[in-house]
Amino acid sequence: MSVVEAEAVEVQLEAPSGLWRDAFHLLIRNPGAIVGFVFVGVFVFAAIFAPLIATHDVTEQNLPLIANGCCPGPSADHWFGVDLLGRDVFSRIVYGARVSLLIGLVSVSIGLAIGLVLGATAGYVGGIVDSSIMRVMDVMLAVPGLLLAIGIVAALGPGLKEVMIAVGLANVPVFARLVRSSILAQREADFVVAAKAVGVKHHSILFSHILPNAISPVIVTATLAMATAIIDVAGLGFLGIGLQDPDETPEWGSMLTEVNEYLQTAPFLALIPGTAIVISVLGFNLIGDGLREALDPKLRGR
Amino acid sequence: MLRFVVRRLLLLVPILIGLSILVFVWIRALPGSPADSLLGERTTPELVREYNERFGLDDPVYVQYWRYVKTTAQFDFGVSIATHRYVTDEIRERFPATMELAFAAMLFATFLGIPLGFVAAKRYGGPVDHASLFASLIGVSIPVFFLAILLKYVFAVRLGWLPSVGRIDVESDVEHPTNFYILDAIITRDWATLKDVIRHLILPAIALGSIPLAIITRITRASVLDVQNEDYVRTARAKGLPPRIVDRRHILRNALLPISTIIGLQVGLLLSGAILTETVFAFPGMGSWLRDAIFNRDYPVLQGGILFLAFVFVIVNLLVDISYAIINPRIRYS
Repeated sequence: MSVVEAEAVEVQLEAPSGLWRDAFHLLIRNPGAIVGFVFVGVFVFAAIFAPLIATHDVTEQNLPLIANGCCPGPSADHWFGVDLLGRDVFSRIVYGARVSLLIGLVSVSIGLAIGLVLGATAGYVGGIVDSSIMRVMDVMLAVPGLLLAIGIVAALGPGLKEVMIAVGLANVPVFARLVRSSILAQREADFVVAAKAVGVKHHSILFSHILPNAISPVIVTATLAMATAIIDVAGLGFLGIGLQDPDETPEWGSMLTEVNEYLQTAPFLALIPGTAIVISVLGFNLIGDGLREALDPKLRGR
Repeated sequence: MLRFVVRRLLLLVPILIGLSILVFVWIRALPGSPADSLLGERTTPELVREYNERFGLDDPVYVQYWRYVKTTAQFDFGVSIATHRYVTDEIRERFPATMELAFAAMLFATFLGIPLGFVAAKRYGGPVDHASLFASLIGVSIPVFFLAILLKYVFAVRLGWLPSVGRIDVESDVEHPTNFYILDAIITRDWATLKDVIRHLILPAIALGSIPLAIITRITRASVLDVQNEDYVRTARAKGLPPRIVDRRHILRNALLPISTIIGLQVGLLLSGAILTETVFAFPGMGSWLRDAIFNRDYPVLQGGILFLAFVFVIVNLLVDISYAIINPRIRYS
């Protein structure tokens, strides 16, 4: 076999691969990420099929059950027991998944969309546009996230839409900074300079050359931001500044609010919604970590 | 070095101006007037008018903003609408409480996180490493307020080892000149009070410190893993230095550089977490105070309190940047 033939064989041995295909293979072989997918799967399943899974109406009160004090624990009829008002905790948890998932998805999308546009503009245009956008982001970052979200809910009033906007806006500076720095790193890359030299238009340089290469850290951050958003929503609910009517639309965080005084007699009232939050958050964190390892070639094999 | 500090200080000015505008505009955007929320439903138009006049709420917006900037620059945040006390006085009482709590939380996170991360990296891939990764994953996934409730349930309600609410025993009538209870107790050599205050601080500090602990452990681990493959570490080993000295002088000292930045970044998280932790433990700090202020629409408290916290946050980050430049000469000249 000549040298040329040997090299040809060697080249053939390397399977055709790309970043995304490699990343996918790494991801499905990562045990942590698989656990994450299972957790998130259960969470999403509960959210979508809530009306089929729930065993009781979320507002239905079973008063005789709480007549002898708060609160009877898990039983055959009420799998997770009943709360202070005699409502079925299991059904409220299932419907709560809906609220968390919905707010999480919408708020991360809001943060991502605005952050992406602002960050991309700042990073690509540069100059005065860059510094004015980033100074505003700095000011927003100077207010701690939850405080910022509380402030926005206070200004807009409580409600589902308002909480989504609040948590979403609190996420904007995070994404804007990330996208900007990742675009700055790409802007001077050889392939961008080459595209410019041959006269490719600005927007197609940005959309077909720079953004696709800058997107993987954004995907990782968006997954992790889902986890943070669920925690923030629960935090707002816990403080009692979340949804308009937590009785009608059960929310995990607000389920924890009133149980503070009943820890002695009914600790399960705190444990169950708390565990639901931890499992869904853990799921997104595990997927996010798995994605980061899969998408960052430097971390591979670590 | 001086140029670096001056440049960072100048960067503060636009941020502070922006912050003051943000907070001011936000306050005006809140629904319902303070007069309505304080005077309640049975108020009369005359009462509302008198009230608005007293607090200057009828003046044009730019007049109000200018008055606000002028007084804020003198650290005068006005009088709380709910309690009729000076906001500055309330901050003087409540900020030390949050400071003590945040400091205790950071102490817990740092002194547990760095050794844990270091050991995990040294035993890379072993059971300690896996346990630390798992623990830090749980740490960032558990909401602060849920952890706080769990700790309270186990150690206060069930076991009764530690108090569940407040900052000090309710029957204590000890004077607190600086409002830093620990400091006061040490100065006056009042060991019983010191013990009481520390016992009240343990559970909230662990709850608040859990996220920083998880993050510091992870960063230390990653950083040690990076550093221990550096050439200078290999050189140090090759010339026969005892492993313990290589660990301390070559690995740990360089690995700690990124950690100082991380600690600065945790301050914002700590302040967010403080609101929740203080609520669970009825701890009389800035967090629970601001939460009440939102419910009462206490404009001066919100205005002063949030501006003050953001100011502290910005200053701490400045100090972290400067200390980073001192520790790491490479930053200074870039």
